[in-house]
Amino acid sequence: MDLLNHILYDTIYHSTPIILCVLGGMFAYKANVLNIALEGMMLSGAFFTALIVLLTESIALGIVAGISSSLILGLIFSFMGITKKGNVIIVGLAVNLFVPALIAFILQLMSTSNINLNMLDATAFKINIPIIKDIPLLGGMLSGHPPLTYLSFAAIALLSVLMYHTKFGIYVRVVGENEDAAKSLGIKSDLFKYAAVLIGSVCCALAGVNLSLERLALFTNDMTAGRGFIAIAAIYCGQGKPVASSMYAILFGVARALAINLSIYAGAASGLFDIIPYIVMVIVLAVVSALKYRNSKSRIIKLE
Amino acid sequence: MNIIQTVGLTKCFGDFVANDSIDLSVEETEIKCIVGENGAGKSTLMNMLYGLLWPTSGQILIRNKEIKLKGPTDAIRHGIGMVHQHFKLVNSLTVYENVMLGVEVNKGRTPIIDQKEEIKKVAALIEQYGFQLNPTDKIEDISVGSRQRVEILKMLYRNVDILILDEPTAVLTPQEVDELMVNLKKLREQGKTIIVITHKLREVMELSDSVTVIKQGKVVGNLKTEDTSEGELAQLMVGRDVVLPAISERNTDISEKVLYEVKNLTTINESGKELIDRISFHVKEGEILGVAGVEGNGQSELVKVLTGLMESTAGTVFLKGKDLTNIWPKQLRKNGIGIIPEDRYGQGLCKDMSIADNCIAGQQDDKGFCRLGILNKKCICDRRDKYIKDYDIRIGNVQGNVSDLSGGNAQKIIVARELEANPQLLIACQPTRGVDIGSIEFIHKQLIMFRDQGKGVLLISSELSEILSLSDRIIVMFKGRLVGELSSKEVTKMQIGLLMAGISERGSSL
Amino acid sequence: MKVNKVKYLNGLINTVLPVFLAFLIGGIAILAIGENPLKTYWILMEKSLFTSKGLMNTLHYASPLILTGLAIAITFKANLYNMGVEGQMLLGGFFAGITGAYLTGMSPLVHKVICLAVGVLCGMLFALVPALLKVKCNVNEMVVTLMLNYAVLKVLEYLATGVFRDLGSGYVATPTIQESAMFNRFGASSLTMFFIIAIICLAIMYVVMKHSKLGYEITAIGKNTEFAEAAGMNVKRKIMIMMMISGALSGLAGAGYMMSEQFKFTLGFSGSPGLGWDGMLIALLGGHNPLGVLVASIFYAALKTGSDNINLYTNVPKEIVAMVQGLIILFLAVKFIKRRAS
Repeated sequence: MDLLNHILYDTIYHSTPIILCVLGGMFAYKANVLNIALEGMMLSGAFFTALIVLLTESIALGIVAGISSSLILGLIFSFMGITKKGNVIIVGLAVNLFVPALIAFILQLMSTSNINLNMLDATAFKINIPIIKDIPLLGGMLSGHPPLTYLSFAAIALLSVLMYHTKFGIYVRVVGENEDAAKSLGIKSDLFKYAAVLIGSVCCALAGVNLSLERLALFTNDMTAGRGFIAIAAIYCGQGKPVASSMYAILFGVARALAINLSIYAGAASGLFDIIPYIVMVIVLAVVSALKYRNSKSRIIKLE
Repeated sequence: MNIIQTVGLTKCFGDFVANDSIDLSVEETEIKCIVGENGAGKSTLMNMLYGLLWPTSGQILIRNKEIKLKGPTDAIRHGIGMVHQHFKLVNSLTVYENVMLGVEVNKGRTPIIDQKEEIKKVAALIEQYGFQLNPTDKIEDISVGSRQRVEILKMLYRNVDILILDEPTAVLTPQEVDELMVNLKKLREQGKTIIVITHKLREVMELSDSVTVIKQGKVVGNLKTEDTSEGELAQLMVGRDVVLPAISERNTDISEKVLYEVKNLTTINESGKELIDRISFHVKEGEILGVAGVEGNGQSELVKVLTGLMESTAGTVFLKGKDLTNIWPKQLRKNGIGIIPEDRYGQGLCKDMSIADNCIAGQQDDKGFCRLGILNKKCICDRRDKYIKDYDIRIGNVQGNVSDLSGGNAQKIIVARELEANPQLLIACQPTRGVDIGSIEFIHKQLIMFRDQGKGVLLISSELSEILSLSDRIIVMFKGRLVGELSSKEVTKMQIGLLMAGISERGSSL
Repeated sequence: MKVNKVKYLNGLINTVLPVFLAFLIGGIAILAIGENPLKTYWILMEKSLFTSKGLMNTLHYASPLILTGLAIAITFKANLYNMGVEGQMLLGGFFAGITGAYLTGMSPLVHKVICLAVGVLCGMLFALVPALLKVKCNVNEMVVTLMLNYAVLKVLEYLATGVFRDLGSGYVATPTIQESAMFNRFGASSLTMFFIIAIICLAIMYVVMKHSKLGYEITAIGKNTEFAEAAGMNVKRKIMIMMMISGALSGLAGAGYMMSEQFKFTLGFSGSPGLGWDGMLIALLGGHNPLGVLVASIFYAALKTGSDNINLYTNVPKEIVAMVQGLIILFLAVKFIKRRAS
């Protein structure tokens, strides 16, 4: 029973940063701007939040710093990829390579390899909801998470509304689906592409805050461990739809939760559990794509 | 009074002068047609009137007041609306969402869209103009004629006084064209001014009050329609007497031997719906078989299947008794099929590759060009030079890319390449679309010469005049099926028109 | 002819300007921490290019980079984003190392050939997975290769800490390979036969890309797949071939690197950010052309070997090189001088 509780709790716990990245990245996906810099934006959010909290002891300032750094990256990405019409995949790669290098540079200057936020107690962030936490099974799953976790799930609903029921959402989708149509009606397509990328920046920064601040009160330079790319895979699997893509993000959370909780039984092979999420994603992608094109009789392969 | 006027309007793209000092005036509540050859500069002019392009110099006047248009929203504000040739609609959205795009209505002060209110407004507009549309249909589910009406509705919703239509009849059946003309005349009654860009002279004569002829970026004629004729307009357009294509004189007889036989060919789209349904026909040696039909009725898919770019789910294809069903493009060429594809820059040529590289596309395996996997650059260049000479291809820089060539010259490369491979059957799909008149004549002559050698041609075209003048026999496609077969000597345009619209000879809908 | 000269010049500017800008910004960062950028950059270049020993070392480090650069160039030219070069290289290097360590009693030539072959095979087979998925299910190969990279890294970690661990060593590593599998050094430098092998591969790829039918087809596929298919190039088969060649080159890179430099597999085998990612920079800088890849590899290897010297002679963290690397890629993404649209 306890094990099940842990698995359920861990699922939600580990899904949070991915869900945030997914929600951020899907606007860019719908706008037809492939933003693979999610990883770099998340890492930057995590690092600068931790750094500023270390220096100023203010959580609020830290979060502002984290989001700002991510927004700056988003602006650079948008400028190079949208305004200057550069190859967005390469620009995204560049960001993902530059950010860890910059962070390592700064850490080296500080003569440290991690940032330890000893003044914070990570467990203090966890919110224990009074009545719910005592419900068997569900209580263990729903209660006791840091605020961003609850925010991320609420955001699924909020951002769904944003995407399908507001002008902004419609314009983003139109720009992605038929940019000509948008331009012919005077919709500034570049503006909406920028907005889509910047939403991604904010959400990824928050994911980074969740990783470094809320969970461990610690920063190491490979914290993100490819979560940004998992988010991209999830967005592809869910074809940019908020609920579907989040479900795939949760799938990753399940896999990680299983990996962590079952590892004590597996002994030496425990490291192998960590490859489950990646393999699962590949299989899901294959199945989703195969199903999408199963009836297509066309022999032409599209390469971007 | 002149509702819209241009004075010395000029547009240059670098060194290229697309519009040269154009003076145009349109009177209120008239229907004016702008005619000219492909590439004459008509679309550039209209794009400037709609704010999509900024003039290099010159003025645009609305009711004698000069205006500067920074973009489409400016144009719409001044009462100018445009319906483009390639619709600017979002397929996954509905009719009302497309009409309201950019001017959505929110629920009170919230950012949430009031869908009920939007549907109401659009429905009212549809009622007012008598268009047959359902506001909640998705664009991807409605017909081409309906989509065009959505485009017009988009502009009417924004209260435009001037409606510009760019080649509106390219995608319509003859009957839908008549319907459109009735609708446009009705709009004129309601006080709108209409400008139509077209190269179809029959429609110009039937529809317009006045005509402006543009040739190579300059205005060469401003006439009242009642004072002129198709012949005069044609002459103004090309600057010489154009022999409107007549039915080709046959020098040889059609043999009775069947060259190419297609039986029950079928294929489906991703949702399982048939794109082509049990198509059967044959082409004899020494014959040109024309496939008529409004674009979008399965011709593209038929050609894709016959050229190996799409798989069929049923049916067979035979060339001189050899089974070619569902083989790949390389095999098709080896077996003697030549292909002039529908989209020359999509399937026929690679814009960013050199002319020489394009000249051997499809034949790169041939021993003349390639030995042990290595390409013989000299042979390739020799071949290119031969094509340039024999097919009168005008090229600025011989080492340059295909993107430097005009549509007609690019098309000639494809024609040269395919014919020189000496195939048995040539599949020619929209062979003269977007091509200047001189090249059209040349390509038509080549097709006839090819046929006279006892070979076969499968000609697919949505230009009815081309089909009528070149084909020996005509079949008509509608909604993926073959709905009629006619001999070109006996057919009338009316008969074909009905078949293209899906009405069988007995008068019932197919 | 004048048109071609202008095109060539534009291409050169498009390549050099991003590098210059990246170094400029890096220089600002160096200034910000109170060091002298020009001095730092000079140290970077001097030891690695202007001494004969340094140059040999640079060429030595360039060897795997030439191969990973080629691996990326050949697929990127066709618009196939094979991000799995890192994983394919690691796999090749790992199993070459195992073959090198466990196979005994072989003649040096045979042993080396077997190890290299194992590396190539591993790379090829691993690249087959995303290739098949792309061709059969039309999966986005970029995402799949990225995921598989992480998966393979974990698997190799597991193997290196478990089954194949060298218990005698103080840190996580596989057993050192036999002498018969090690490449011998030329003279006092670290240059080995591996460099020659890399150059031979480069020459072969040059002929393939510029003069062969396959090169023509790859270029066509990269520009317009519909055209390629209509012209009878069986695009699906070519994609498989390209991915396998790419995987083979990556595997060879890993194997050769193992046999000429590392001699055992450790968790830091590929360095930071990794030879595969370095290869990406090199392919981009080299314009996806074999000759460009050669120049870029040498340039980049010089940066890498130079970065260690930065640590020794200045207070600038050697990560400055990685930062400049990221910036170079960023600026390379945009063509500063475009062809005038006709």
